[in-house]
Amino acid sequence: MDDPIVFDTVPIQIPTDAIYRRLGYRRASTRLSDEQKEKVEQAIEYGMSLVRLQGTYLRIPIQEKKTGHVSLLTGVVLESRNLAHLLKGSCEIIMMASTAGSHIIDAIQADADEGNLARAVVLDALASEMTDGALDWIVERLNREFRRENKRLTRRRFSAGYGDFALENQRYIHSALRLKSLGISITEYFILIPEKSVTAVCGLEHFL
Amino acid sequence: MATLKRLTEIAKKRPIMLDGATGTELQKAGLPQGVSPELWCTQHPEVIRGIHAAYTDAGADIIYTCTFGANAAKLSQYQHTGARELNKKLALLAREAAGEGVLIAGDIGPTGYFVEPFGTLTVEEAVAIFKEQATGLLEGGVDLLVIETMMDIQEARAALIAAKEIGDIYTIVTMTYEERGRTLNGTDPVTALITLQGLGADAVGCNCSTGPDDMQAFIAAMKPFSKVPLVAKPNAGMPHTVDGRTVFNMGPEEFASFGRGLVKSGADMIGGCCGSTPGHIRTLSRALEKERPLTPPSEPVSAVTSTRRAVFLDRKKRLIVVGERINPTGKSRLAQELSEGSMVYLKQLAREQASQGADLLDINVGAAHIDEKKTIEQVIYSLAPFTECPLVIDSSNASVIERALRLYPGRALINSVSGETEKLERLLPVMARYGAMAILLPIGDGGVPETAQERKDIVCSVLQKAKSYGLDISDFVIDGLTLSVSSNPQSVAHTLEVIHWSSSRLKAHTIIGLSNVSFGLPGRRWINAAFLEMARDKGLSIVIADPSHITGPAPPAEEASYLDLARAVLVGRDRNAARFIAHFSSAKESPKKETGTEALSPSETLHSAILNGDKEIVAGIITGALRCGYVPAALVDDVIIPGILEVGDLFDKKAYFLPQLIASAEATKEAFSVLAPYLEKEGDAKRDRGTILIATVKGDIHDIGKNIVALMLRNHRFNVIDLGKDVSSEAIIAGIKRHKPAIVGLSALMTTTMTGMKDVIDLVENEGLECKFIVGGAVVTSSYARSIGAAYAKDSVEAVRVTEQLIKKE
Repeated sequence: MDDPIVFDTVPIQIPTDAIYRRLGYRRASTRLSDEQKEKVEQAIEYGMSLVRLQGTYLRIPIQEKKTGHVSLLTGVVLESRNLAHLLKGSCEIIMMASTAGSHIIDAIQADADEGNLARAVVLDALASEMTDGALDWIVERLNREFRRENKRLTRRRFSAGYGDFALENQRYIHSALRLKSLGISITEYFILIPEKSVTAVCGLEHFL
Repeated sequence: MATLKRLTEIAKKRPIMLDGATGTELQKAGLPQGVSPELWCTQHPEVIRGIHAAYTDAGADIIYTCTFGANAAKLSQYQHTGARELNKKLALLAREAAGEGVLIAGDIGPTGYFVEPFGTLTVEEAVAIFKEQATGLLEGGVDLLVIETMMDIQEARAALIAAKEIGDIYTIVTMTYEERGRTLNGTDPVTALITLQGLGADAVGCNCSTGPDDMQAFIAAMKPFSKVPLVAKPNAGMPHTVDGRTVFNMGPEEFASFGRGLVKSGADMIGGCCGSTPGHIRTLSRALEKERPLTPPSEPVSAVTSTRRAVFLDRKKRLIVVGERINPTGKSRLAQELSEGSMVYLKQLAREQASQGADLLDINVGAAHIDEKKTIEQVIYSLAPFTECPLVIDSSNASVIERALRLYPGRALINSVSGETEKLERLLPVMARYGAMAILLPIGDGGVPETAQERKDIVCSVLQKAKSYGLDISDFVIDGLTLSVSSNPQSVAHTLEVIHWSSSRLKAHTIIGLSNVSFGLPGRRWINAAFLEMARDKGLSIVIADPSHITGPAPPAEEASYLDLARAVLVGRDRNAARFIAHFSSAKESPKKETGTEALSPSETLHSAILNGDKEIVAGIITGALRCGYVPAALVDDVIIPGILEVGDLFDKKAYFLPQLIASAEATKEAFSVLAPYLEKEGDAKRDRGTILIATVKGDIHDIGKNIVALMLRNHRFNVIDLGKDVSSEAIIAGIKRHKPAIVGLSALMTTTMTGMKDVIDLVENEGLECKFIVGGAVVTSSYARSIGAAYAKDSVEAVRVTEQLIKKE
């Protein structure tokens, strides 16, 4: 197994539409004055100076796939029918993670403490969308790279804690991706810190 | 250079033909999945020889070696060491197969790693990897190098730096762009062209990812700015799956039918990438036999780039603004953060200036207690992926500039090169090596020249020396050298004369550091504005300034007289600026316009402030309202409560979204806080609607939702006890015993922590305590809430409603 490959900066554009959507904005119904829009935009601008978007990924060969589990060459067994189904055509698993860093989380907390919750929720939405967007970017990047190997990533990806892929798997993912080196720790409840950090797994399959 | 001569000869008659795909041809010939194509070729030399020979027969002038993945980083995935030897062997194979009639290009592909600032591979590590590969290829006798399928401009730069540091070898660089016309890191073809041709690429272009139809647009976009030949190596259309196999949809005839369009768009070298075959190249070659490549554009190009944008300096068009605020001098917060390695405020300054209209950002990190060389690296790596504005590297230290240029993934502007002999000899070669532009400061060994003529002489001397490095006037921006008008009243005329002469005689771009002119004077904005106007009249094309002062709203007409006063200072009519100083010593600089809501009553204004979430003005409105005789309780009953109910209703109808709801809630909170002492006096305690204890359960650190619920409940006059986040069941039980709440609100975001809700409820039952529960959070559902005997609310507005219902039932 190789070392995880790190993206020290994930250069995505501000997912403005997604941030507004996450905050409940609906184009057809929400009425937003210029001043209110300006405040939201300023919060997004401020948040962008605090986000440090990093990512990482790792390829791990699959040793065996059964209906309810997937065994990796590292000896680890991932128990999940859904995941096993997703990986049915894959020869390798791709683990990935992204984080928005700790500055933005500190700022959200400071705003909440100082009674500026209106800005805090925008920062919170920004950080969430940036980390999700970073995973999308990693997938796209890898697809372009693996295209020359005649391989592609599975269309879907799974995160620990969804469906029957238990959140406890977060511990192995955290360790395999060496997330500590990105400043990400994991609690006894399998929560990643800084809060806006996410992981996912998908498969790598041949085109042919 | 024999290769250049050969290519120039061909280009006089027709486009230069490149070969087609190697990878897809190898797959057809039996290359198994999961092996290194390069290593497989050494075991099956007859296969790769056959492919090279077929492309030679098809009419290719240049054959690419089969070394796309033969760099040490890629080969390590196959536990192979010895990249240099492997490249040499494959280059020899290509030469042997193709014969002497064609040129062999040593093919260099990406490492699969990501180079700083996008990844952890340092520029120097990447350069070393590419140097090893290029050395092997040259030992194998290649005629040129081709760096291809690059997705990251920084990796392309590293490979090109490696090639150029090995020797004077003809090097092609092609990037790969998606249909939208950008690499995944956001670089567009024009930006890449400016960066790469500046850095010394002999030909630039694109390959892979798109078919020949889409690639025409990329080539056409680059052509007006290309000083070097352009390369197009498209796929044979787009891949799709047929019967489980990947098929490219364009046959040789259709593929070749786009050849003419590519030439008309400006391509000088054309071949094929994935899916193309010797048949495609043969048909294309025949189709282009009589086509002549376009002549290169004759207009010189002056442009700088970031990773995502090229900024063209055009003397006849708009003024380019260089934001000056990233400079620790006089900015203690920036100095402090930079010395600690923090880039947060730096990014804020960058983003603010960009949003205020800066085209470029000046970066100066020179100050006491700051390690300038180390800090410039950190700053470049923080800003390069962050801002679209190209950077201006501002330092008096030549080694800092050199380091910055090597690392910056774009074409930068140096601030500055002067006529000082030692500095000039150091910086001109650096400028040429990294293809940067530079501000030419007309200062010589004798210091700052007083007269325009002395400054012009220095400019001419520097330009003359620059020629020997292949640099010309389009690579420079001439600084008029702005001095303070207060210390030298004649300096303005000299500066303007240099600008006029540079712009009209040399056809050069010109620049000034605007604020220098007003140093030491009051009313600086007027002096600056008048000076900028005068310099523009003389042909000024770029200004270094605080962008908010340049792009902000025009001054009101009644202040036009201030500009007249300033002009009088600048042209020497107001000697020693006596009238100007006298005026600004007695007058305010810019009377502020009064704003107000004169037409509305205090209650209407308060209602409007709550609906708009204008927290900042609430206190003033309430104070005014009380002064006018409004009763505090009536303000609550008639204005504030209806206001927050209206906001809740708007949120339910999705006419408001979350930031509006919370801004209104914060305005409401502020209103209650201002009114609290008055309400207490009125004996308003009866309005307390009950105690709610609220907490995020053990193990969960996510509490923004809980904080919003607490805010909303408080505004609805509930007494909220917030225990915080990550609160143990025992602590919640202790809180219940102490505060005896009517309702307990619990929040959790994760499946692993939401079980803590049930633990609390079970404990309450065991202890025989009495209270109702309301739960919420991202993973919590109404059915889960029911299963543990709690009420459920999906958001803060519903939480208030459910709480009110639970209280009523009591």
